[in-house]
Amino acid sequence: MNTQIDSNYRPDALIVGGGIAGLQSALDLADQGLQVLVVERQSSIGGHMIALSKVYPTLDCASCITTPKMSAAAHHPNMQILTNTEVEAIESRDGAHQVRLLQKPTYVNFDKCIGCRLCEYACDTEYPDPFEEGLGAVRAIAVPFTNAIPQKAVLDAGHCGTCGTCARVCPTGAIEFDQQPRHLTIRTDAVIVASGFQLNALTVKPQFNAHRSRNIIAPITLERLLAPHGPYGRVLRPSDGKMPSSIAFVQCAGSRDESIGVPYCSRVCCMYSIKQAMLLSGALPLADITIYYMDIRAFGKGYEQFYQNAKAMGINFVRGKVARIHPVDGGDLAVQVESTENAETPMELRRHDLVVLAQGMIPGWMPADSTPVACASDGFVATPALTAPTATTAPGIFVAGTAAGPKDIVDTIAEAGAAAMQASQYLYQKRSALVAV
Amino acid sequence: MSYQNDHQGQHEDEPVELECGEPGRDEEAYVRKQIELARRQADLSPSAAIAAQQHQEDSASLRIGVYICRCGGNISDVVDVERVAETVRLIPGVATAKVHTFVCSDPGQHTISDDILRENLDRVVVASCTPFLHEQTFRGAVARGGMNPYLYEHVNIREQVSWAHRHDPAGATSKAIRMISAAIGKLRHVAPLDQIKLPNHRRALVIGGGIAGLKAASDLAGRGIKVLLVEISDKLGGHLNQWGRVYPSERAAEELVADLVNAVGHNPNIEVLLSSKVKAVSGFIGNFKVAVESQPAANGAMQKLNATVGAIIMATGFRPYIPQDGEFLYRTEPSVLTMPEFVQLMRSVSHHATSLVYKDKNVRNIAFLHCVGSRQLDGVHEPSTDGRLNSYCSRTCCTTILQQALAVRTRFPQIGVFDFNQDIRAYGRGEEDYYAQASRAGVVFFRYNGEEPPRVEITPAGRAKDGALSITVKDALTWGQELTLGVDMLVLGTGMIPGRIQDLIEQMKLAIGEDGFLQEVHPKLRPVEVAVSGVLLAGTAQGPMNIQETLAAAGAAAVKAASMFATESVELNPYVAAVDLTRCTGEAQCVTQCDYEGALQIVQMEVDGELVERAQVNAGLCAGCGACVAVCPHRAIDLNGWRIDQFEAMVDGIAADIPGRECSSELVSIH
Repeated sequence: MNTQIDSNYRPDALIVGGGIAGLQSALDLADQGLQVLVVERQSSIGGHMIALSKVYPTLDCASCITTPKMSAAAHHPNMQILTNTEVEAIESRDGAHQVRLLQKPTYVNFDKCIGCRLCEYACDTEYPDPFEEGLGAVRAIAVPFTNAIPQKAVLDAGHCGTCGTCARVCPTGAIEFDQQPRHLTIRTDAVIVASGFQLNALTVKPQFNAHRSRNIIAPITLERLLAPHGPYGRVLRPSDGKMPSSIAFVQCAGSRDESIGVPYCSRVCCMYSIKQAMLLSGALPLADITIYYMDIRAFGKGYEQFYQNAKAMGINFVRGKVARIHPVDGGDLAVQVESTENAETPMELRRHDLVVLAQGMIPGWMPADSTPVACASDGFVATPALTAPTATTAPGIFVAGTAAGPKDIVDTIAEAGAAAMQASQYLYQKRSALVAV
Repeated sequence: MSYQNDHQGQHEDEPVELECGEPGRDEEAYVRKQIELARRQADLSPSAAIAAQQHQEDSASLRIGVYICRCGGNISDVVDVERVAETVRLIPGVATAKVHTFVCSDPGQHTISDDILRENLDRVVVASCTPFLHEQTFRGAVARGGMNPYLYEHVNIREQVSWAHRHDPAGATSKAIRMISAAIGKLRHVAPLDQIKLPNHRRALVIGGGIAGLKAASDLAGRGIKVLLVEISDKLGGHLNQWGRVYPSERAAEELVADLVNAVGHNPNIEVLLSSKVKAVSGFIGNFKVAVESQPAANGAMQKLNATVGAIIMATGFRPYIPQDGEFLYRTEPSVLTMPEFVQLMRSVSHHATSLVYKDKNVRNIAFLHCVGSRQLDGVHEPSTDGRLNSYCSRTCCTTILQQALAVRTRFPQIGVFDFNQDIRAYGRGEEDYYAQASRAGVVFFRYNGEEPPRVEITPAGRAKDGALSITVKDALTWGQELTLGVDMLVLGTGMIPGRIQDLIEQMKLAIGEDGFLQEVHPKLRPVEVAVSGVLLAGTAQGPMNIQETLAAAGAAAVKAASMFATESVELNPYVAAVDLTRCTGEAQCVTQCDYEGALQIVQMEVDGELVERAQVNAGLCAGCGACVAVCPHRAIDLNGWRIDQFEAMVDGIAADIPGRECSSELVSIH
């Protein structure tokens, strides 16, 4: 627990969320000489991006792009980071904000922890690793993942057997079983909401039967399977560890569907599915890979070429909506497709041994409940200003990235810069006005 | 050597005063002072050479740290990194060699800075990915350990080794070892270098007065930074001046333009030059010198203006694609319109009109065709006159078509609307709604395969009941049935093509991508920067974007400029040419060869009491290309940080007898 930050600390700006949007906004403010506090509810900054394998359209490894930004944030003289901390409420008055924070106990004193991992090595309780989407195991006390920031051990109270081994091996006496949640109120002039997204459930469409087969997986699970430092170091299907030979990607499995309350496009699924298909065809050269889609939305810079390359690599693109998925013998799956391409078999059953459902993006946080920030009908933060796409309904509070709707990394980073620009202008004008008075 | 002391003395006795906040009244004097300062900073050669020699003498006692990255498995799946570490540890001077999963991660960087302190390292090698990604990262880590960041060498064992020699692990391992050995060789010959500090001129030039330029200008001015905004036409607002309503807000484009123009017009920090063109750009980050020509009235006199700016924002925008003559019967049949022409037509129709009349004919049905001039395929589409095929998606046409199709059905419900697409890319916030609404409003969709775009023909006389134009499509939604439709009007969903800025591209040495648009350094790490420091990209100069994305991109460019202006001075890489005055004879072969105007010149100076001519480097303008080094007959000029002796040491390092076990393969044999 970072005890150095208390209510006397008064940053120029507070960033809600330490994912790629929040980090980019924070860096763009701190580089202008402004003091910035980043608040992250997970145990490490880096957001969803740090868990990805590679990113389109350059196929750079995601770690290689994310870690330098994380590291730059961690070392920036103008920046402070609070992890394991949630924003409970924001109260705004006269354009200044009081942000109420809840620092959750980690049962490790961060001022004392040196990240040596002796506690992790000594702990004998394991549970499915959330960073690996449950595919590997992690100790009840552990540094969250290899390139996590901060490199501090965190104890998971839900899985800890309270045997006390960690406290005995810790060379600095950092383990504090009696840690309590800590409330903290930070006063600041500007806030950027970069609270990101979450994915809707795999089971959101009952006709896909995701609850009946472990071989119907989330795209993020496939990211971990494809990551060179992932749980198995190769792609194996979850039910029996078999190397899959026929993989189906089902597009719009949680988006563009009024029946599940997500009528909008999630904007990234086409491209990451194409990317995953390409990486799979490298990892499993003999596998058949099929993408079932309604429209391929390869709209960004270099994306259409990426799509054409995937077609040339032999990835099958089938224009058709998947109607149903049924588990069949041997752990395989029967995928029923309404194909628009073949008049003789308009309703076709195809067998695959691994199915990836392109889940939809939904908001990661609903600020409207506890802050002056309003949300639009899609649930994401409303941005009503015609010429300031990052301005919210609350003066002095801005929004960046997927908190304001689905977006890919490139567009998120641009928007994070724009939010930082908007916030620094706001601060400059507020202070110029003060000087003038 | 006497000149060295003279040189030092000059530094202290005659401080160069510079005002960096405001543009000086006398721009010329300002630039002269900057060049003088740069000259003094760059003229490092003698001291650098001596220092290097000193270091070479000490090299027996060097303590080198080598850090080898697994890059997850990107490297270690091919290269035996443990073997590499074990081998390079045996090379004299190597104090430690370690392997890390991600050296670029925080723990990885910590290891380096900790080792420098604990193990007394005085040289560092990191063998990882391309220096393009992480050279700066590791320089930072080395500096945090208290070492001069230029006593560090970066070795690329990912792109150049593990990815290139995927099927030859033994050869790749051997190559990695030898490349590290080369870096170690170089490190025996390096001297500490310092970044070149130059004054920062706190004013930005924004080229282009469309919404990207307006937004970037008002953002910077709102932050207290002065802006010179240059627009080639006589009006601010760009393409949006000719547009109707914008999606997804459905507000009038004029309203949006007026918002931005007001923000710019009312800000005293912004100087706007209309009907003006940037004619010349020289200089470098913090200190660009630009010449602008203005012709305010059609017959007015040409006015010239010179200005010095610290950053340049390229907001030069796009051009709408103009179909070739006959492409889908464009310019052959008057009832074939581009989207901008159709928007004009819709704007010209009275709000009370109950029918759409075009060229005195009542329009009964309209077809919209997607991807005209976009997503073009080799062998399917005709390249344009410049030989270019636009293989990219223009990002905005799908939703524009849906918006216009819906508008037609809403205002004129009697008009039949047909949409011919290969995909509907209504990806943005609020855009899918247009698709749903257009479907509900009775727009009929047809889908073609990219390889077989619809054919447009003139309907044979006598069969023109449904319309003068016949569109034939193999419709994928009805399992490939070939259908022919007659329509009165065809609207081409034309995309975006790069603006005509060839002169600026050449002058400023900007890179363009395969698509012809300006190319950023890296889409995620440095998305609005180009290879030329201090030049930033805003909006559709970089590639197709919609309005919201353009405004965000302009903000992102502005924030980079604002960060740049946060410091009093700009810092440049010290990899610039340096002249050895003891060898230079002033023959000026280097000056002739130099591609960067002003980077090298012949000046008169006193050496050992004699007035002689010698070459002199302007550090700000020198790009460190090394062209001068190759032509100097006296080896009197060299590049700081990339000297010939350093290259020789690298070659020696590659060819050296590597201690330890033999490691080679049939595919790669370096002996």
